[in-house]
Amino acid sequence: MNAPLPFDRGWRRWTVGITGMNAIPDNPGPGLAVARCLRAAGFDGRIVGLGYEPLDAGLYHGGLCDAAYLMPYPAVGAEAQRARLGEIQLAERLDFVIPCLDAELTTFVDNQAALRAMGIGSLLPDRRQLAARAKDNLVALCERLGLPVPRTKVATNPAFFDTCESDGWRFPLVVKGPYYDAAVARDPAEASRAFARIAAQWGYPVLVQEFVRGYEVNLTAIGDGDGGMIAPVMMRKRALTDKGKAWAGVAISDPELEALAAKLIEGLRWRGPLEVEAMRSDEGLYLIEINPRFPAWTYLTHGVGRNLPEALLRLAAGERLAEPVPPAPGVMFIRYAEELIVSPDSFRLIMVDGALNAAPAAAPSRPSRMFG
Amino acid sequence: MSTGTQRVLGELLAVGRLQAFAVSAKGFAFDPRTGQSFSINETGVRTLELLVETGDVARAVERLAADCEVPAEVVEGAVTAFVHQLGRYLA
Repeated sequence: MNAPLPFDRGWRRWTVGITGMNAIPDNPGPGLAVARCLRAAGFDGRIVGLGYEPLDAGLYHGGLCDAAYLMPYPAVGAEAQRARLGEIQLAERLDFVIPCLDAELTTFVDNQAALRAMGIGSLLPDRRQLAARAKDNLVALCERLGLPVPRTKVATNPAFFDTCESDGWRFPLVVKGPYYDAAVARDPAEASRAFARIAAQWGYPVLVQEFVRGYEVNLTAIGDGDGGMIAPVMMRKRALTDKGKAWAGVAISDPELEALAAKLIEGLRWRGPLEVEAMRSDEGLYLIEINPRFPAWTYLTHGVGRNLPEALLRLAAGERLAEPVPPAPGVMFIRYAEELIVSPDSFRLIMVDGALNAAPAAAPSRPSRMFG
Repeated sequence: MSTGTQRVLGELLAVGRLQAFAVSAKGFAFDPRTGQSFSINETGVRTLELLVETGDVARAVERLAADCEVPAEVVEGAVTAFVHQLGRYLA
């Protein structure tokens, strides 16, 4: 573990930036859940919502976020992200940032040292660790660590699906994007359509993975950077949205999944939050994905008494964490959507200035780089 | 008593699946590994208790037949079906 952040205030009084403020009901970002966990843990500092779209609901959620800012899309690059966070820092004096979206992790990781120099702490993996768990490197990682993983291949051309059966690939197959999205394809035509859609939306590489019959189990935890796994929480989805995301789930206790995640975190010496996704079939447990951030169902960690966002801030503050309470299998969550009323002024401020409810010490409004 | 039934029970007990099964007095049963929940009637709850307690299908049948004042042959058929059902659900 790196040296604790040199704050003279307790973590409950920090100003924390949180991304992933999108809250589309069938596929919400994790940011609002992370913010809710912190509030539930008695956090009474400022939460600054960092969003990418003016319709990211969390930006307007006054009960959770004290201020909100638009950020440049991660694809614009690390420099633009750094510059925007520098502007925000002038107004907000962020102590810590929790990135919650896969697509932005690379730039946040690249900016770790620069952010630290600005006074913004984070608990993130390094570039090598981040790359090792990427979807296109997952098989190599699992081979190195001796973990079961479905056969996976990078596909660069949808013509692959016309001939893949002669190479031993049997339908159905799973077609996956580099960061998000996956579709089960039952024949070459379905696979080609999924390939085109995913490549258009998320870019390359597109991955093809053997379909594992069974049910999905998920685990979230924090890696301490020294190989240790902190407070794992496991969940099985009980009901899915059209996008295959959980809108209801139940906490479980699966020792095999816990052992698999512990081995991963130890092997990677993972630092920061992560989510492990696995399929349990009749043949056993198969790792299918590692996400380098908290999942959208993070609020369940508070529900089972292992509030992971709270643990993250405590760790960053250099606190010695108490032994977590025993897991509480059977505790459920059911997600629901609600409407936020947004005033025309609030929407205008986000649209025009890219900032809402800036701290009193804020510099004059600046145009958002996103729209500037 | 079929050895197959005793084998299924033995396998479930050996990996701790039945012992970990959380069953309320009213028959709400939860499997902490899979997250699945089930409803079990009063007789099922008692049967499950006896299976875990004795680890032996024949002894559970004997005790249940005595408790319920039902012929052992009738109980045996029901318990056999129940054990195999548990084996499928908890696999």
